[in-house]
Amino acid sequence: MLAVAAIPVVPRLLPVDDTDVSAAELLAGVQGSADVGHSGYAETEGAVQLPVGDDLGDVGELLAGTTRLRVWWQDADAWRVDRLLLSGEVDLVHDGPVTVAYDYEDAQAVVTEDPVLRLPRASDLLPPTLARTALEDASPDDVSRIDPRRVAGIDAPGIRYEPSSDRTTVERVDVWVDPGSGLPLRIEVRASGPDASGSPDVVSAFEEVEVERPGDDRVGFQPAAGVDVDRARTLDIADAAGRYAPFLVPPTLAGLDRRSDDAAAAGVYGAGVTRFIAVPLRGREADPLREQLRAAPDATLGRRRTVVADGALTVLLTGSAGDDRAAWLVAGTVTPEVLEEAARALLELDFVDRDGDR
Amino acid sequence: MTGDPGSDVAISTTGLTKYYGRFLAVDGLDLEVRTGDVYGFLGANGSGKTTTVRMLLGLVLPTSGTARVLGRPMPGSGRDVLPEVGSMIEAPAAYPQLSGRANLSLFDAMGRGSRRRGRAGRVDDALDRVGLGGVDDRPVRAYSLGMRQRLGLANALIRRPRLLVLDEPTNGLDPQGIRDIRALLLELNVAGTTVFVSSHLLLEIEQMCTRVGVLDRGRLVLQEHLDDLRAPTGRVVLRTRDVADARRLLDSRIDEADGDRIVVRRADPAALAAELVRAGIGIDELVAERRSLEEIVLAATSAGSDTFARPDRPASGVVA
Amino acid sequence: MIGVELRKLLRSRRTWATILLVDALPTLVGVLLAVTDLGPRPGEGPAFLSAVLTDGTLFPLAALAIVLPLFLPIAVAITAGEAVAGEASAGTLRYVLVRPVSRLRFLVAKLVAVVVFVVLTVLVVAATAYVLGLVLLGDESVTATGATSVSGSSLSTPELVARTFLALGYAILCMLGVASIALFLSTAVQSSLGAALGTMAVFVGSAVLLTLDASDAIRDFLPTRYWLAFVDLFRDPILWTDLRSGVLLQVAYVAVFFTAAWANFATKDIAD
Repeated sequence: MLAVAAIPVVPRLLPVDDTDVSAAELLAGVQGSADVGHSGYAETEGAVQLPVGDDLGDVGELLAGTTRLRVWWQDADAWRVDRLLLSGEVDLVHDGPVTVAYDYEDAQAVVTEDPVLRLPRASDLLPPTLARTALEDASPDDVSRIDPRRVAGIDAPGIRYEPSSDRTTVERVDVWVDPGSGLPLRIEVRASGPDASGSPDVVSAFEEVEVERPGDDRVGFQPAAGVDVDRARTLDIADAAGRYAPFLVPPTLAGLDRRSDDAAAAGVYGAGVTRFIAVPLRGREADPLREQLRAAPDATLGRRRTVVADGALTVLLTGSAGDDRAAWLVAGTVTPEVLEEAARALLELDFVDRDGDR
Repeated sequence: MTGDPGSDVAISTTGLTKYYGRFLAVDGLDLEVRTGDVYGFLGANGSGKTTTVRMLLGLVLPTSGTARVLGRPMPGSGRDVLPEVGSMIEAPAAYPQLSGRANLSLFDAMGRGSRRRGRAGRVDDALDRVGLGGVDDRPVRAYSLGMRQRLGLANALIRRPRLLVLDEPTNGLDPQGIRDIRALLLELNVAGTTVFVSSHLLLEIEQMCTRVGVLDRGRLVLQEHLDDLRAPTGRVVLRTRDVADARRLLDSRIDEADGDRIVVRRADPAALAAELVRAGIGIDELVAERRSLEEIVLAATSAGSDTFARPDRPASGVVA
Repeated sequence: MIGVELRKLLRSRRTWATILLVDALPTLVGVLLAVTDLGPRPGEGPAFLSAVLTDGTLFPLAALAIVLPLFLPIAVAITAGEAVAGEASAGTLRYVLVRPVSRLRFLVAKLVAVVVFVVLTVLVVAATAYVLGLVLLGDESVTATGATSVSGSSLSTPELVARTFLALGYAILCMLGVASIALFLSTAVQSSLGAALGTMAVFVGSAVLLTLDASDAIRDFLPTRYWLAFVDLFRDPILWTDLRSGVLLQVAYVAVFFTAAWANFATKDIAD
């Protein structure tokens, strides 16, 4: 049995080389890594148990449990991310303004224009994407060096980001970086709270990576003859609501700025690890979701709202069952107080007539 | 037959010992089987015969002691020795779904130095020898006990071995079958094959063997030529109708008297016959006494090893 | 000795009965699919099965995915578990060894026979499924349009055939791991049933542990960990990570358990 056990262990025992690169340099590398070409295989491990079922696309699935991803990344405009399932896969192929979502088991590919606003998807969990998102507004004063670590065979120096804001639920973010290109190779996110020093809420790391721009044949999508290719006008529930719901969200909520300035009924506010999304849902969309949220063990139940927090993620849904008015879903890596403040403001909003029709 | 060192000794063991855990199965065995012997290896069930046979064939590894077969050490030289040894161990065994013929040709194809050439001939030959030459293609599953026994023998004979090691070879055979096998073994022996037969049947050994070894609870208690064992004892057994006259005449020379049977000490049968005739005593039977193998074996062994009597109370009915 | 074992294997009625039984399940599934036209919902059921209603020529792969997790390993466990313990209890083992056949050669021959058995079973399953797929299931023929890889691109027929054979090879290697465990148990216990059941316990236990987060630390060493990685051969490009780990793991299992079997058998007293 020893021989069996030894095989994967041996390479991990070799000492890891460190470099004397500064935390600030590494941070700059991470923030500027969007166009670093690479390809590889990554696994993400989420410990955020969010009882949201299928209502929010893959979100619940992505945050809890293991996700296996393959990526070919030329630059921010051309990439392909395959989420591997036991007996199939769900792929995202991004090419300029459009993204193709292919599902093997449905033998279907759906082409959509990339919306301003959408729910998280598999590609957002890749170590580089997640690290850039989390460290987006980090200043050099907030980061420090930590011990290096071997990631996918690369001796990667690490930095720790401890956000200064007290509105985020994220306690700290550890990122290990390819010293040559600045490409983040591994990221661990820990929520504040009693077990902040324990195992991370979310880990995303390359198991194999090649920091080199992949060829065009790897990032394109040439469907086989048996694949149905459809076009869709909206990507997900957030996209649809943002475009068509009869509201206009304000430029600021709970003191956080909206990230885009188009006229929309939904929006993402804040930056870095202090951010949340606000989406109006119709009654029949909100009811099943509310049902599930209320079943969570530590849900805060109120007549006007339901709040669930698990680790770094907080979810708030306004309204109550049978209420056929629109309900606001507000969710993000911020404290319940921030979400409550945002929700109060959202419930004040008046109906407006939108140009688009449903 | 060949120039192997020690080729006049087919099997020899020195201090051969086997423990199964703490149980002593074979205890310091010193066997000697000479080339050309028909050696009878006698012992009650459980006395260690089978373990000994298995050690000779390399199936069981001795705890201590050595064994040499056909002049070479076992189990070390098994690959050289065993091709020249034919064996049947405890019971015959075959692949039940195959015919006897198919079984033989499979077994013949196993192991080193097996040749495809002449296989069918060898198989037929071996079957003929054991009286199964005319058997059909029914699977061994459908064989009777006797047929299986014959097939097992055929399997032992197929390579024309120099040494046959047979454990209970007549098990399950009818009287005619037993006679056939005995005749076959004697015929093979005349042709030069050394035969080592282990059995718990005294009669079988007595009728066939030239030498016997007697095993009792793992120890060899006797190893002799059968002729020597059964040499006349010097006593003469007389049966007569004139019991009273005979007793009067022989009086002080009588060892035992039981009904019409009188055993006379230190006598020459011929002289005794003349004396009795002179005295007008009718003789029904008069022979020089020889001990039967049974008596010899019973005298040499303790209680059967499948009896487990308390030590302070020997099992009744068994002569110790 | 290998030739002898193969003759025994091929002439045994049980070999063919086992193969037929293993083959029966995918055949039944294929017939039911054809009759009812009800495919499994996407994402459920064995790999590739949802695709066969449109493309019958994929059915061999689906059939393989059906038998691999349970039926095939059970058949292998029974066949390999019988190898030594079965011959011992039938009494033939002692006659084989006094032939003489060296104990190592005997074990190797047994292992080879099990491999042949697996190859035979896999081929029979694949061939039946191919015919069935062609006759009963979807007729959107691969030869004309090319098959769809798991990643959505098209695979040419030669690519599909090559990858299918790689998948078969991988499945056979996985079964070799099962066989060596069963062979080891077969040298260690008296009854062949015990060896077979013990082996099944190992891989059922492994499959259970794989579903537990708590067994994270050992999951990469569990024998069934990479069994389904053959699906990765049908991604585009092929994802070698798990396949490589799977091959290494199975080779290690074969080496360790075959050595253990030999170490145990080489000095074993053949007393029955």
